[in-house]
Amino acid sequence: MPHSARYLIAADTGGTFTDLAVYDTQTYETRFGKTLTTYRDLIAGIIEGLEDAGGELSHGRLLKHGTTHVINAFIQRSGARVALVTTEGFRDVLEIGRGNRPVPFDLRYRREASLVPRDLCFEVPESIAADGSILRPLDTSAVKALAEQLQAAGVQAVAVSFLNAYRNPRHEKEAKDVLQDLLPGVFITTGTELSQEWSEYERASTAAANAYVGARMDAYIKAFETRLRERKFPGALYMMGSNGGVMASSHASSHPVALVESGPVGGCIGASAYARALGLDRLIAFDMGGTTAKCALVEHGRFEVQNTYYAGGYERGFPIRTPVLDIVEVGAGGGSIGWLDDNGRLRMGPHSAGSDPGPICFGRGGTEPTITDANVVLGRIGADSFMNGRLELDVQAAAEAIDRKLAMPLGFPGAQGVDRVAQGLIDLATVAMTAAIKEITIERGRDVRDYALFVFGGGGPLFGTQLARELGITNVIVPPHPGAFSSLGMLMAEARLDFARTFLQPVTESSLQSAARELTALEKEAVIAIGQDFDVSHLVFEHEAELRYRGQKHAVRVRLPAVLSIEAVIGAFEDAYRMRYGRVHPELTVDLFVLRVGALIAMPRPDLRQVSGVAASGEVPRTARRSVYFGAGEARMEVPIYRRRELPAGFEVRGPAIIEEYSATTALGPNDRMRVGDLGELRITCMPGAKSE
Amino acid sequence: MNIAQRIRVEDPRRESPSVDPITLEIIRHQLVAIPNQIERNIERTAFSPLIYEYKDYAVGLVDPNGRLVAQSRGSLPIFVANALGTAVREGLSLLGPDGIQTGDVVITNTAAWLGQHLNNVVAYTPIATAHGLMGFFAVLVHWVDVGGAVPGSCLSSSTSDVWQEGIQLPTLKLIERGARRTELFRLIATNTRFPHLLMGDIEAQLAGCQTGHDMVQAVIARYGLDCVRDVIAALWQDSAASVGKLLNSAPQGTYRASSFLDDDGVRKDVRVPVEVTAHIRDGELTVDLSGLAPQVAGPFNAGRNGGAIAAARIACKYLLAPMTPVNEGDFTRLRVEVPDGTFLSAGPGAPIGQSGSTVPTVVDTILRALSDAFPERAAAAHHGIYGIHAFYGRAPATGELFQNLDTVTGGWGATATEDGPGPYRSSGHGDVPDIPSEMQEVFYPYRIEAKRLRPDSGGPGKQRGGLGVEKVYRVLHPCQIVVALDRTACPPWGLAGGGPGGTALVEVLRQSGEREALTKGERSLAAGDVVRVLSGGGGGYGPAHERPTDKVLMDVRLGLVTPQGALRDYGVALDGVGQVNLAETERVRREMRLKGPGG
Repeated sequence: MPHSARYLIAADTGGTFTDLAVYDTQTYETRFGKTLTTYRDLIAGIIEGLEDAGGELSHGRLLKHGTTHVINAFIQRSGARVALVTTEGFRDVLEIGRGNRPVPFDLRYRREASLVPRDLCFEVPESIAADGSILRPLDTSAVKALAEQLQAAGVQAVAVSFLNAYRNPRHEKEAKDVLQDLLPGVFITTGTELSQEWSEYERASTAAANAYVGARMDAYIKAFETRLRERKFPGALYMMGSNGGVMASSHASSHPVALVESGPVGGCIGASAYARALGLDRLIAFDMGGTTAKCALVEHGRFEVQNTYYAGGYERGFPIRTPVLDIVEVGAGGGSIGWLDDNGRLRMGPHSAGSDPGPICFGRGGTEPTITDANVVLGRIGADSFMNGRLELDVQAAAEAIDRKLAMPLGFPGAQGVDRVAQGLIDLATVAMTAAIKEITIERGRDVRDYALFVFGGGGPLFGTQLARELGITNVIVPPHPGAFSSLGMLMAEARLDFARTFLQPVTESSLQSAARELTALEKEAVIAIGQDFDVSHLVFEHEAELRYRGQKHAVRVRLPAVLSIEAVIGAFEDAYRMRYGRVHPELTVDLFVLRVGALIAMPRPDLRQVSGVAASGEVPRTARRSVYFGAGEARMEVPIYRRRELPAGFEVRGPAIIEEYSATTALGPNDRMRVGDLGELRITCMPGAKSE
Repeated sequence: MNIAQRIRVEDPRRESPSVDPITLEIIRHQLVAIPNQIERNIERTAFSPLIYEYKDYAVGLVDPNGRLVAQSRGSLPIFVANALGTAVREGLSLLGPDGIQTGDVVITNTAAWLGQHLNNVVAYTPIATAHGLMGFFAVLVHWVDVGGAVPGSCLSSSTSDVWQEGIQLPTLKLIERGARRTELFRLIATNTRFPHLLMGDIEAQLAGCQTGHDMVQAVIARYGLDCVRDVIAALWQDSAASVGKLLNSAPQGTYRASSFLDDDGVRKDVRVPVEVTAHIRDGELTVDLSGLAPQVAGPFNAGRNGGAIAAARIACKYLLAPMTPVNEGDFTRLRVEVPDGTFLSAGPGAPIGQSGSTVPTVVDTILRALSDAFPERAAAAHHGIYGIHAFYGRAPATGELFQNLDTVTGGWGATATEDGPGPYRSSGHGDVPDIPSEMQEVFYPYRIEAKRLRPDSGGPGKQRGGLGVEKVYRVLHPCQIVVALDRTACPPWGLAGGGPGGTALVEVLRQSGEREALTKGERSLAAGDVVRVLSGGGGGYGPAHERPTDKVLMDVRLGLVTPQGALRDYGVALDGVGQVNLAETERVRREMRLKGPGG
């Protein structure tokens, strides 16, 4: 690595904007950039944005890239022509799915069409029993014959997924080898390469999804690397995985489904980095952007991971078995629209004005009142200080629309009525978001009041104190650079790959021995996979297992102790079980269900003390005062406005107050207290309120 | 006896000015969110897969008279009839308005009130305030076993009275003023085959009641009882107004439809007619079910609340308010007329083990009657059955009792604009996923050799019905199978000239080569026996010969329709290389047109 390779770069490509963060390992400076995601040439957009942020590629040490490429290909149905090869008798594994209707009273309910049309679903003779034994060998001559058919049908990618292959992947490997020989240039993937857990529909769906985006992702990554080389980039490209770790670009090329939630994870990683640095055991990471809000739990610096992700949503989408940070999304963002329904009731969202045309106050043709319009009308967002004044906001137009479209019909006259209704929109968004946060905590048996609320994204800091009050949370934390936090978080990411296997044995001395062997086998698999691109001498493994009482199919996920003794494993299980159910059943048999290995490698990353952005201590100028409406008193107050970059560590203020910075605004309600922490974080102590703020 | 029973909810009182329209929305959101949050808690803590996989439960909030305020989104459609409120009304009638105290949790499954199989046990707790009773928080859970003749209690096709189907718990205080009545817990644990699963589920159910109660109390503490009551009134008013608007805009008049069930499981040669009359008049819908067959000998009955009223309400919800959360206002404009003594208003003591299973057929018949009033909302019939096929026996390795209650997924009906969807479970089910074959093969002594769509099972039509499914099991160790299928003689019908979907069947193929078709009953299976379970397809919409030939050709290419089916059902003739023979197609279709609908 040349000495000049000094920049750590993160590029997070979202639907509208690409966010960039560049950390200079020599000067310890962090710089941010934002460019419109250039649809015709994503890569050009990133390279331009980087240069704007002062990140010279020729001095880049590494570049971490998060992208919505994969999820967009699913949503827009712009992937490859894929064939599915399955076990005889199971051609319809994708068509049949699991037979549920998540929208129960809709006579027309249907899931979105499968990624593979039925005439490209093929069966081959083979059979493997539930214990992994081979009942009928794979008919390789049938596979060879099939290859000709696939070629004739012009397929660009093939997914191979057999029943019970999670127990024995041999036939899938054989079939892949035969097909790859006969179909050079075709992207071929097997179910068990991506998941070795049971559930034939989910695995087949995952394989189909991987095949669907594989060829395109591979081409994208290769093109990206070529362009980086042209710019004399001496470092390595890493892709941001949905599991919260980055992976080598070669791994991403063969496992593109692992990038399905590549974008939103950056903020969670950042939240967990701060949680560790600040010693916060329990926090809720809350990210509010233009169209949605997202929340996730971070406990002891770790976030929860889900094994199954639904591309296109649970109600109508298809499942992908890949570890995805457990993020819950709500249709409430700055662009969410307030409207009146047929019964004249005030509603908020889920429709969003997005960034085009955007809120009315942006003056870009938006006509529907949004959450951002409400915040501007109420004075929480400064009309002339938004994005450091780069975009002047039209308060008048926003107020008029709220008046005409909502306040008048609802019977709230005058300027006071507009304030009241604007606050109503904020309150409705708050109710929707608090309901989501309550669901994720209740679902895990946690009490939301035990958590700190960690807010970021363009809208998070505006809503933080109000959400906290609703939830009974006392502590709110706003990290440095909340508006660019996702790319900042990405800079903190380690390299990570996950491996899992369905195990299914009771916890006994002998089964623990074989579990230890399985874990070692998974570690070897990990070393091979990760060792292609990384120095494995610093590899760290995390062992997890899913356990359950026999007869109860719900499994509980626990971290495994270093030495697998019955006492230690059962103890870890019982602790987790008691947390969830409130009691344990020592008389019941405990089954070891699934074994998991996470392989992690630390990467160079910024020092959090260097990204704090705090001012040197001294006099803190108040920039101004302006009239801000707070719901609690149902009245306007003259509120001091601060510029965040002028606040030194240790600075304290009591609300009401507004703290402005380039990409976000923090609102402190009356009596809330705020202190600037050592890492530049705003630590707010929320005063409980009887009524919503 | 032919007493017309009128079930009506009084019109909710007019919105009062004590709550402004913004606060109203905020409280509404909070109230409606609570059952969803409790549902998450129950799924997390339940023991039995019937709860967390099959989602056989309902969580909700009812007012002091048992009227539904909010129900969780995952609750099964079969429970929208307000099983929760019905349970509360039983308690009020038995214990009096002051008989249920803060800290009480009351349970009930009484056949005569709830009218659904005894596994459906409702638990509820009052939400009392200083200014009066706000209502009750209630959780219904399908108890995995409540005794009776067969494991699971509700699976037999041949019980002849309700006492063979398990124990009844007629409004008992399981918790009295916060204290557990341990003798009742003992009674329950003693009367079930799966005490571990059941007692675990009951804990989840009780915790759901208590937590739900606390969350509603928190909303009341913040906004006051009057405000909350106003919000509930507005909630009902909005739903009622939406339904009323639709009913007013529909052509007023009387609508009829009929169908029938195969048999009652006991008298195999006697059909069970379903005659439905519906009146739309002055913004009200009356569903007259006096044409239902009399109470039957086998367990395919239901009581009035769990049967006739449930069916009418489910149909009303599907047709008139499918996309909004359910509450009592959805049904304010619905009247149900049914005399005592039909199979969906059966008398006390009638066997009701399979109570819900006939409801989808009755719902579809109501929807068929109303299809002329709401042609743009109507769909042809769906496969229409639960299609229970349950394997049970002793696990070969451990000797432990196992049971896998499964139901079919099949085709749904086509509409004027779209082919029928599916395969999905019946209209009585909602978000109920299949258990993966790979999981079943680990737990149960059989292999699943195929699970595939049945070509030609979708009802032919200009819009084709959804397809049924074929599942093939190979039995590895001796066990039992219980089967309850229906609608083999009255297939899922088409609409507007569309044809019927294929029908369901279970076939047992013995190693000896003997083959037996089965619709209802129980059989012992030996190692090597093969069981084929076929589910039905959805009905088609519009004449099949009007389906564009390119769509028929695509169906053939996709294997959804066979070339023979294309010719027979759609009049589309294909040549040797799979292209449409235009001249022959034109000739056949002309003949079909002349023969008219159904030809």
